[in-house]
Amino acid sequence: MSRNEESPLRLEDVTHRFGRVTALDAVSLGIEDGELVTLLGPSGCGKTTLLRIIAGFMRPTEGRVVLQGRDVTRVPPHKRPVNMVFQRSTLFPHLDVFENVAFGLRIAGAPRDEVRRRVEEALALVRLDGYGPRRSHELSGGQMQRVALARALVNRPRVLLLDEPLSALDLKIRLEMEAELRRVHRETGATFVYVTHDQREALALSDRIVVLDQGRVEQVGAPADIYRAPASPFAARFVGDANVIPVDVVRADGGRATVSIAGRELAVPCADGTSAGSAWLVLRPEVVRLATGDGGAVRGVVLDLAFRGAGYSYRVDVGGLSEPLKAEMPAELGPPFAIGSEVAVTWDTSACGLLPRDGS
Amino acid sequence: MSNAQRSPFTAAITIFALLFLFLPLAVVVLFSFHNTGALSFPFTGFSLRWYREVFGSFEFQQAAKNSAYVALSVAGVTLVLGTLASYGLARTTSRFRGPLALLFFLPITLPGLFLGIALVVFFSRLQFTFSLKTVVVAHIVYVFPYFILLARGALERLDPALEEAAADLGASPLKVFRRVTLPQIWPILVGASCLSFALSFDEFIITFFVIGSNNTLPLVIWSRLRRTVDPSIATISTLLLAVSLTLWVIAFFLTIRSERRRARALEPLLGEVT
Repeated sequence: MSRNEESPLRLEDVTHRFGRVTALDAVSLGIEDGELVTLLGPSGCGKTTLLRIIAGFMRPTEGRVVLQGRDVTRVPPHKRPVNMVFQRSTLFPHLDVFENVAFGLRIAGAPRDEVRRRVEEALALVRLDGYGPRRSHELSGGQMQRVALARALVNRPRVLLLDEPLSALDLKIRLEMEAELRRVHRETGATFVYVTHDQREALALSDRIVVLDQGRVEQVGAPADIYRAPASPFAARFVGDANVIPVDVVRADGGRATVSIAGRELAVPCADGTSAGSAWLVLRPEVVRLATGDGGAVRGVVLDLAFRGAGYSYRVDVGGLSEPLKAEMPAELGPPFAIGSEVAVTWDTSACGLLPRDGS
Repeated sequence: MSNAQRSPFTAAITIFALLFLFLPLAVVVLFSFHNTGALSFPFTGFSLRWYREVFGSFEFQQAAKNSAYVALSVAGVTLVLGTLASYGLARTTSRFRGPLALLFFLPITLPGLFLGIALVVFFSRLQFTFSLKTVVVAHIVYVFPYFILLARGALERLDPALEEAAADLGASPLKVFRRVTLPQIWPILVGASCLSFALSFDEFIITFFVIGSNNTLPLVIWSRLRRTVDPSIATISTLLLAVSLTLWVIAFFLTIRSERRRARALEPLLGEVT
């Protein structure tokens, strides 16, 4: 079989159980060559377990891990052509930066001058030229993770695994490191599998996002697609923090549905095949607009207000809705509405989405 | 009651307690340098005659050699077996891990007298001849829990993610141990081994039961005490003290040093790690 036809990594019905708890439930996934795929989900969704299964630290209860067409489900970690960047610093404290990066090459028995050349290349790639003689305790948290990245990439892994590598860093460093990761990914063309619970990070980095919840794949897609058209209420809430409102579809035809929400009827776009009954209305906070005066789709009272720099985020209590409605308004639209003030709530109905709801 | 209050009374008690602890030690060391045969005050002057006497005596030379042989063997064997045992205990996921660890620790609670008698019975049943070799075996039983106590603690504090990272970079389990685990914990292992040496070197009770016709330094002191009382006893005691103290200090610094280094390595990420 030709190399090019084989995807670097394929997961087939990977299931993992800890005792009675099912951490992963028949996860199947194919990853393309050179792709940056994010496994996104809340803590406990199984994303780290999945990564550890790919790395070989754990064996799945059922299912197969196929690397480059080869079943590696039972292959120990040191014999897999994948490398990992861990959440915490795992630099070897007894070795300097150069020897940390050289570790994999030395184990593989690479010749001395090749080790030197490749380590220097790798350090240059993460912009740490000249840091070779330093010890890990002389580095900042961000530098440590760069060294860890170089240490993994120097081995030219088929797949690079990253387990929340930025979560221990300060926000400012984290944003810088995101840009660095994008650049390194572009420059190396390597295949990255990236685990995070941070949807902002996932949106910023990924070619594709795999949304995981309770060990199941909720949705797979490009960041913009998942953001624009979430496939489930969970995906809608987790990616982009959308309002997910239970509504009743009164009638639906020709791509438009009339729904009843908080006692009012609204027309929203919908998928073909939507029928009358219960549904979820997905509403992004940034399309919700507040105004003074009468009118508006529905009316509400401002419960909470937070300044976000570029704008304000509100939580608005709307009569007839069980949860407060989240709204994001740019600052240039005017001064904020005070807490307790009564507002008219409108939104661009074309930016809404409908998802089926069971148990009507 | 305020706990920060300094009264002359507490100071006096503290000084008295320290004197009580260390004065006998100081007296023994002092009299090892006495210029007469008396082991009691008045102290009449300094001399090295008892050191010359002790180093010149065949009994002492033989016992010192025996003690060194026993303690070195104990330290060496314990280093290898203890490292393997504590590594196993620290890394196993077996459900017998708890009970197993308890079994390894249990001998620490046994009185020396009990251990001595038990070993005499054991060796007799197996028809072993009592010799320095039986002493070595007995001492290993005695010092093993102390070694495990130190080594296992160090291994458990070592981040297993470091070993995973090494495996991930292609190192087989043996190479992981040699190139990542060992370089980080060897000071503690050597320190624990020094401690084993010190414990074995001045052990008396168990030795007494299983040594047969040989002699070690503590036994020489004991037998001399029964014959005559002269400063040579103080001299041998002082030598024992010096060896033990040196090894304890080495063990202390080796363990402290590696703990410091670990703390330093974690600094930049500490606090943010959950």
